[in-house]
Parts: sequence; C-alpha cells; structure tokens
Amino acid sequence: MSSPRSQQASDCFDDLLDCIIADVASECHRIARLGLDRNLEEEEEELRRSVQARVADQSSGGEANGKNVVDIFGQTHPAIASEIFECMNCGRPIVAGRFAPHLEKCMGKGRKARAKATRSSTIARNRHSRGSPVSVYAPYSSATSTHRVPNGTVGGVGEEYADHAFEEP
Amino acid sequence: MRASINRPPTPDAEEDPPQKELSLREIINIKLIESGEKEKLMELLRERLIECGWRDEMKALCRAYARKKGRKNVTVDDLVQVITPEGRASVPDSVKAELLQRIRSFLVSASL
Repeated sequence: MSSPRSQQASDCFDDLLDCIIADVASECHRIARLGLDRNLEEEEEELRRSVQARVADQSSGGEANGKNVVDIFGQTHPAIASEIFECMNCGRPIVAGRFAPHLEKCMGKGRKARAKATRSSTIARNRHSRGSPVSVYAPYSSATSTHRVPNGTVGGVGEEYADHAFEEP
Repeated sequence: MRASINRPPTPDAEEDPPQKELSLREIINIKLIESGEKEKLMELLRERLIECGWRDEMKALCRAYARKKGRKNVTVDDLVQVITPEGRASVPDSVKAELLQRIRSFLVSASL
C-alpha cells in the first residue's frame, strides 16, 4: 500500500464527508429557522401546552367564551364577575362585572353627576388648578354635554375640565 | 487531514503545502468529477451513513444545539462546527473502509 495514495484517498474521503456534513447542517438549519420541527423551542412548546390546556378546559367546561381558564389551583372562574361591593364614589352596591360602566356614569358622563360636581367642588379646586381660566388639557372628553368647549374662555366650563382631568383628592 | 474543523473556502488558504501537492489534489478532484465517480461515491457514502443511523445522530445534535441556543439564532456555520468533530469520529469503520477501497481503486484505474 503506497502511502501517498492512501493519503490521497483519505483526503478524498474527508472531502466527501465534509460535503455531507454541510448538507446535514444546512438541512437542520432550514428546519430550525422555518420552525418545522415541532418541539424545537422550549418556550414555544410551553406556549403550545398552555394554549392546549386552555382549549381542553374550554371544551370540557362548557362555557362558550374564551375567558374560562383554569388557574394554578385548578379553579375556574365565571366570565362575568358576580361579586357585589360598594362603589367608592356614590356608595351604591354594584355588581363587580358591571363596575366599569357604572363608574363611567357615576364619575364623568352623566349630566346629573357633572352638575353635582360643579357646584360642590369647583370653588375648592379653583385654587389648586393652574390659575388660567382656559383649560386646554382634557383627556376624558365627554361628548354628552353641549356646553363643553376645550379652549373655553368661560371660566366655569374650563374649570370643570380641570376637576375631572386632574382628579385631586 | 485538515488542521481546521471549519469548512474552508476553496481554494484552501489555511494550508501551505508545496505547490505540486495542491495541483495533484486538484487533478484528482477534476478526474473524479469528470468521470462521474465523485457523484457515485457521494451517493454511496450518503446511503451508508443513513443506513447506520449516522445522519440521525447528527440531526439530533443539531436539534439539541438549536434548542439550547434558540432556533432563530442558529447559523449554518454553527451547526457545521457542532457536528464536524463528532461526525468525523463516528463514521463506522466498515463504511470508511468501503469508501476508501473504492477511492483507491479509482485512483489506480485513473493512473494517479
């Protein structure tokens, strides 16, 4: 067996093997980047499992909407919170699931509520506000009342906005 | 045997062999390709490596690496580096012997 020839043969073999290694690497790279291997990323797998758990609970729980999830103790919660508590603004007993719309009416939109706020707290809050009668900043603009002018030059109107925008205790 | 495990660009800039050896290597390569023998050898090697499970082992290594590193952060070069050492070492002796035998026969028949 002549040594150079064996060496050449070995070189050839290594060359072939390198090609095949490159092919395998290329294919695995493609599979990895395209996400073709189902269990490739641990995070994705956990995400999938949590989604599956949620789906399984939905189908077995019988509720139509997607909010019926199982928490870590295995408890399920109804979609609409049914606990009743007292509104801190008006003092009425409110169903928790209906609190947001109630608060909208209770604190901002309703004409009765706004008129009430104007009379009782405007004078006190005048001192805390910037001092300019024109209040430009009104994040919770209300569409209900026609008296509302954002850059109102009427002092009272401007002040009311300040009351509700800067909710001072 | 190559000193570096990285797949070098052609022509190989890492080695510094005498000029004569490089051109002989090139001649061999050209003859292999022209005669179609290189293609046949590749097919044979591929087949043998699939049969013996070598390919699956390499793919498993790649998958494990991609899983660890995050599948979007993987490059082809990474994977080549990952599997080359193990790949070269784990080729079954019988497969290697068979291929070497065929290559040697070719070299003889091509009067190289």
